[in-house]
Amino acid sequence: MYQPKSGFFRMYRDEVGLNPNVGTWSWLLHRITGVILVLYLFMHFLALSSSVGGADSFNAWISNLQTPLTHVLEIGLAAVVAFHLLNGLRITVADFFYLTKPHKALFWIAMVIFAVLMVITLVVFLGRAFSPQH
Amino acid sequence: MNGKTGKGSAYGWLLQRITGIFLAFFLILHFQVLHFTKDWRIDFNLVTQRMEGLGWVIFYLIFVPAGLFHAFNGAWQVIHDYRPKAGTGKALKTLFWVLGIAISVWGYYLIVTFNKGA
Repeated sequence: MYQPKSGFFRMYRDEVGLNPNVGTWSWLLHRITGVILVLYLFMHFLALSSSVGGADSFNAWISNLQTPLTHVLEIGLAAVVAFHLLNGLRITVADFFYLTKPHKALFWIAMVIFAVLMVITLVVFLGRAFSPQH
Repeated sequence: MNGKTGKGSAYGWLLQRITGIFLAFFLILHFQVLHFTKDWRIDFNLVTQRMEGLGWVIFYLIFVPAGLFHAFNGAWQVIHDYRPKAGTGKALKTLFWVLGIAISVWGYYLIVTFNKGA
């Protein structure tokens, strides 16, 4: 069994260096997006906690989070969510239905869906970021 | 095999996938309702109006713990790859459970604040 040597990033460098394939890159991206989403989830809960102070408190917070800049940043969030979601479904399908052999094909199917979702997201969110309604 | 991990890691593997399937559907709906609508500006009224419906309350009652379990179990899997010592691993697992349950309870309280706000 693999035993990581000293150094926080050593495991990742070894893994990518020894096995630079689609499965390894998707594993690495799944992990990076996962860690981002955990940190985002805490911030999400923190922002929603403003509802304890009632409507004024919540609206003050939420209006700061609905600016042209945050709508652009939300495109990044959507990309992180969409990748983690689609790749996660690919892993689950591969695990549950004995489809580990065609996992690369499944990955590219997931990435086609990812691309479609991102085109829709870009159109909607860029339109919103530059909306005169701000 | 590392004997220390025992049966727990298989349940972790399975539950990560089960919560993941739930979260996939929940998140798509969550994004659809909050971000891909014509009226995209969110305020307290919009949220409390939605939270009047029992269906949405039930939605969040499942969404909150499922998301937190998936987050902390995923974080545990990252740490597990570093083969922590038995004591450290146990301490972190306990911490993650305490935090997960505490934040779930806090999330449930926030559901109440939105539900009462209308």
